[in-house]
Amino acid sequence: MKKNKALSIIALSLALIFAGCVQSKPSGEQKAEFNLGKDITVIARDAASGTRGAFHEIMGILVKEKDAEADKLVVGALEFDGTDKVITAVEGDKYGIGYISMGSVSDRIKAVSVNGIEPDVENVRSGNYSVSRPFILVTKGSESELIKDFLKFAESTQGQDITDEMKFIGASDLSEDYASSGMSGTIKVAGSTSVTPLMEKLQEAYRDLNPDVTFEMQSNGSSQGIKAALEGSYDIGMSSRELKEEEASQLNSYILAIDGIAVIVNKENPKSDLASEDITKIYTGEITKWSEIK
Amino acid sequence: MQRTKQTGINEKIMQTIFFLSALISVAAVIAICLFLFVKGMPAIAEIGFMDFIFNEKWTPTNTPASYGILSMIVGSIYVTGGAIIIGVPIGLMCAIFLAEFCPGKIYMIVKPAVNLLGGIPSIIYGFFGMEVIVPIVRENMGGNGYSIMSASIILGIMILPTIISISESSVRAVPESYAEGSYGIGATKEETVFRVIVPAAKSGILTSIILGIGRAAGETMAVVMVAGNAVMPVDKINLLKPIRTLTANIVTEMSYASGLHESALISTGVVLFVFIIILNISLSLMKSKAQRN
Repeated sequence: MKKNKALSIIALSLALIFAGCVQSKPSGEQKAEFNLGKDITVIARDAASGTRGAFHEIMGILVKEKDAEADKLVVGALEFDGTDKVITAVEGDKYGIGYISMGSVSDRIKAVSVNGIEPDVENVRSGNYSVSRPFILVTKGSESELIKDFLKFAESTQGQDITDEMKFIGASDLSEDYASSGMSGTIKVAGSTSVTPLMEKLQEAYRDLNPDVTFEMQSNGSSQGIKAALEGSYDIGMSSRELKEEEASQLNSYILAIDGIAVIVNKENPKSDLASEDITKIYTGEITKWSEIK
Repeated sequence: MQRTKQTGINEKIMQTIFFLSALISVAAVIAICLFLFVKGMPAIAEIGFMDFIFNEKWTPTNTPASYGILSMIVGSIYVTGGAIIIGVPIGLMCAIFLAEFCPGKIYMIVKPAVNLLGGIPSIIYGFFGMEVIVPIVRENMGGNGYSIMSASIILGIMILPTIISISESSVRAVPESYAEGSYGIGATKEETVFRVIVPAAKSGILTSIILGIGRAAGETMAVVMVAGNAVMPVDKINLLKPIRTLTANIVTEMSYASGLHESALISTGVVLFVFIIILNISLSLMKSKAQRN
């Protein structure tokens, strides 16, 4: 009986210690000040992500020399396979830095200005905010009336309203309303996971106007979407990166929208503006501490 | 008369159903093997076996690309080893406690808790690791927390149920006469457990450890979330630095990869599969050896 009691006390105290660890952590973290001398936690996306491709190219992390292309991402940078995980990692690490689609920025993290320019819709539209990439739809060229009609809808004012609503920047200057054409058939769409949410909304709205049209969607990444359009297995391919030359020569492309890529840091980070050279240096390992940034 | 005929037919039918069920699992294994080797081998041949296994540079998006998985092989070994160092002593002691020393009331709490631990989905372990273990490692040990250490801790917890339940049943399976003999020559309870019963249950305990290794080496979701997934040069691998395992390599890049990159990921799966096969072979070798004794 005595043994019994002692054991329950041990178990109870272990449970308490554990609970204490978990609960006291956030409050303890808030008290500790931001230490500029600490190492920066560099957070990137996985090697094959469209966001990474665009960001590394724009920031000069991907270095091109004639035929060779080398990604100079610093050794030891964390790599996550999704926007949500990048956000969670930056939210949890005071010294972290990451990059995500502008449409995914929330108050869990802080999006910094780049070269003094804030990442917002206006600045991306005017071209002042340089870290942006197009959302492209590609087709094989000989598309049917139905697909043309859907693309017309995407360019119309209704389509642009949806794009704005999703916090992307419309790329069309068309100020025409779309009128239902009463078409029927199936449209098969494949490609970028970043474009998928916008595409789904567009399809929903299009179906409201043309109830006889059905969609088949496959969300499997930019390269896959382009490949599917090239092979003709899908009608429309979605891409969140610029087309390569050999792809562009074989496909018709429509810029659906422009998406800014936001550079994000922890909310406790005192920096709210970073020069693009400094971002490049952080990602290539030339700068390793926050104090090295002027 | 009619009744026996009926039973005979029923028996035939049920026999076929059971046989088919057995066949399906065999077919699944064969299909997976075929898929892995047919899809994975050409890439290994194209990259070159030595360049694939013993090169530490993994840069699939560069031109020219490099597909070396040495860093991930070493990473998987480190993380699995860490999980064993953390999980085996705790699991083993828990199993011995449950089988030999545990009062009934506590058993009613601990045993269901262990079973529940085994039923928690790995994504939950991953979230727990990312939100709790990673900050604890960061605050108390240094680095940014996404590390071999965090991954080992999470995996160490994940393999506990496997180790505990199999070790416990093997300790319980030791014949009563062993203990009686030991008590008979004047040994205490503790001496009996540690000198007689645990050695007698050795093969079951080893089985549990090997199954634990298999679980740790194959775990993906939780590791991806806490290990940081950086491809580290082998000489820079550090307990508190991030690491990428074989499984993490496949899952982070599969959705986007195409061409040789995709095939190289399947080949990564082949290497992992070979690891698991080696584990299973050593398991059956050990079992047959134990049976001979």
